[in-house]
Amino acid sequence: MPLITITGLKKTYRLGRVDVPVLRGVDLSIAPGEWVAVLGASGSGKSTLLHLMGGLDRPDRQRGSGGAGGEIVFEGRSLADRSPRDLDRFRAKSVGFVFQFYHLLPELTVLENVGIAGMVLHRRRGRFRAERVGDRARALLAAFGLEHRLAHRPAELSGGERQRVAIARALVNEPMALLADEPTGNLDRATGQRILDAVSAWRAKGGQTIVMVTHDPEVAARADRVVRLEDGRVVGG
Amino acid sequence: MYQALLTRRYLTSKVMPLLAALAVMLCTAMVLIVWSVMGGFLVMLMESGRTLIGDVSISSPGTGFAYYDDLIKRLEADPAVDAATPMIEGYGLLQLPASSGPETVVIKGVDGPSFERVTSYASTLWWRPLDKPLPKDAKRQDPRLSPDRREEFARFFAEGSTLTARSRAGDPVGAMVLGVEVGGYNARQVEGWYSPVVFLPGDTATLSVLPLDRRGRVIPDQATKVLPIANHFRSGLYDIDANTVLVRLDVLQKLLKMEATAAIDPSTRAASVTSRDPATGRESFNQPAATRLAPARITHVLVRAKSGIDADTLRDRCKAVYREFQRAHAADFDPPPPEGGGVRILTWRDRNMTLIAAVEKEIYLVLFIFGIISLTAVFLVLAIFWAMVSEKTKDIGILRAIGAGRLGVAWLWLRYGLAIGVVGSALGGATALLIIANINPIHEWLGRNLHVTVWDPRVYYFNEIPSRFEPLKAAIVLAGGVLASVAGALVPAVKAARMDPIRALRFE
Ligand SMILES: Nc1ncnc2c1ncn2[C@@H]1O[C@H](COP(=O)(O)OP(=O)(O)OP(=O)(O)O)[C@@H](O)[C@H]1O
Ligand SMILES: [Mg+2]
Repeated sequence: MPLITITGLKKTYRLGRVDVPVLRGVDLSIAPGEWVAVLGASGSGKSTLLHLMGGLDRPDRQRGSGGAGGEIVFEGRSLADRSPRDLDRFRAKSVGFVFQFYHLLPELTVLENVGIAGMVLHRRRGRFRAERVGDRARALLAAFGLEHRLAHRPAELSGGERQRVAIARALVNEPMALLADEPTGNLDRATGQRILDAVSAWRAKGGQTIVMVTHDPEVAARADRVVRLEDGRVVGG
Repeated sequence: MYQALLTRRYLTSKVMPLLAALAVMLCTAMVLIVWSVMGGFLVMLMESGRTLIGDVSISSPGTGFAYYDDLIKRLEADPAVDAATPMIEGYGLLQLPASSGPETVVIKGVDGPSFERVTSYASTLWWRPLDKPLPKDAKRQDPRLSPDRREEFARFFAEGSTLTARSRAGDPVGAMVLGVEVGGYNARQVEGWYSPVVFLPGDTATLSVLPLDRRGRVIPDQATKVLPIANHFRSGLYDIDANTVLVRLDVLQKLLKMEATAAIDPSTRAASVTSRDPATGRESFNQPAATRLAPARITHVLVRAKSGIDADTLRDRCKAVYREFQRAHAADFDPPPPEGGGVRILTWRDRNMTLIAAVEKEIYLVLFIFGIISLTAVFLVLAIFWAMVSEKTKDIGILRAIGAGRLGVAWLWLRYGLAIGVVGSALGGATALLIIANINPIHEWLGRNLHVTVWDPRVYYFNEIPSRFEPLKAAIVLAGGVLASVAGALVPAVKAARMDPIRALRFE
């Protein structure tokens, strides 16, 4: 059974009175443990697709007819069936986002930026859990070569370091799927490769699923499968 | 909890929340100071209005009433009554030594020991030996501290307590105790002690009064007496201290012709004024067949309640006792007037009602105004939070992306408002406490260096700015400050919760 099944996914943005269809019926199926690279031109809707997969946004809903905007099924359960609370929990636990522009919290230290994802998941203050989250955050940051940067603020880090912190944050709750939006897009080639090495090493241990958006064929080449987003549909793969 | 972590970090790394906390601090401090000073003013006014008048007074101003010994005996037998004392209140002129003209004064004839039992009068006597200086008199300038004058001051204190001094011949005679501000003979220093311009105790002054007869008519008689001055008293209420003279009761009674006198028994009066002796044919005045003693009179009986008895209960008890007393003496030579018809029975609060009610109303008015001003704090917090939520839009998007729910985000901002309220209120409370504790030094400093004197004792009754830091009031005001900032954070919190995470993430 695939981990993620997307069928007929549609997303239309409204700009004033004009409807701008971005996704026009995406069909995609991703097996557990698979690394899928999503290629596509700028503005083709890659980020939009990733947000929908992660439950951060909802597909189109057409009046009267349910399912008109398609469906995303994660582990056999449709995201549309989940309550807002379930969806929050899903984002916290089942998937980990890595954004194009890092999106770290500027007031928190590196360690806190990673740890906060654990805190959000484990809402209670349970000391045991808090310690475990802290330990895991530290271990992840060490694996990404950031052990001497724990107390620094994001503003004091380089782009590559920031992206590694963002990835550590996405992984700290041990999600089943990592949804990464051009994690190497703003980095030089060598740094990008090192980050991808770190992600590969992490996947080798846990066998997690990765969906990674990229323009870069070299990055795409590391994936098990490459799909293209063209005219709001998935082609290839 | 991630909210706690973020609250802490946001609070310590931004200027905006500190501004909000500052606004809360200023508002809470302002309201608390105003309330404490005005509340202190009221309490002091009431306490001072209470010194020297007892809890309840039974009074018949002007003419007075007789058989008061019996009334006092009956009152003191009542379980609600701690003590009762007779008093005469009237007006007079006081000619002080080295002064150009007489002062108009309120004269109170009191019986030292029982007056003390009812009003704790001895504690108001000023000249007495002192071991410890007044709190602010660090330089020990108070003459009462002088070891050489201990004996002298001890004598003044004893004489003041009994209102009895020694005449030049050495006999004990009735004396006066003057309000410490009467005539301006004592200059009050900023540290609180008095420096006498002319030291009056031991000297004499001339007192003139206007005697009234039993029906309240003026007796056209000279009633002037030179009396020794035994001491000064200070009640703290400027009006009383500047205008009141205490005289020993029996002395004033004589002066006012209210003492017990022989009077003609009207039932034994002869039919005509003169009669002719039938034997000698000489005409002579008819002597009354019998005289009887017209009893002494007073104008007031002051009553002190037993501890735990409130003034209103005591007043009702006094009314009942008075009714019985009046009934018992109805057939006597000088029947006491009925309550309501010539005699009034009032609590100290009733007597000061107009003043107290005015101050109470004023407090609520001022609090209302300041409460409205404090609404500004709510709007300030709201505006600041609105700006911060806008500024932190991306953070909200990030939090939502890593799984934070709408409620969690709303709680983050409410909590933040709570933290700002707590910090602001705590600082405000501390500031208020500091200012309230030092309000008089601050005022004196203002007067010395900027020549601003807000508090003139002649206007405000008291020589010091009163203030009272009450924990309950502080709790109410501080809780209000916290509530106000939570209220101010509410709307921005809802805004944050309703934010679309995708838009938030795209926010630049
Ligand atoms: N909130 C929005 N409102 C209106 N239009 C939007 C909104 N979000 C995205 N779009 C539009 O949808 C299209 C797809 O956006 P998306 O960010 O998914 O593209 P992308 O493939 O990730 O591009 P890039 O490679 O540049 O990141 C764009 O044309 C964009 O203008
Ligand atoms: Mg994109």
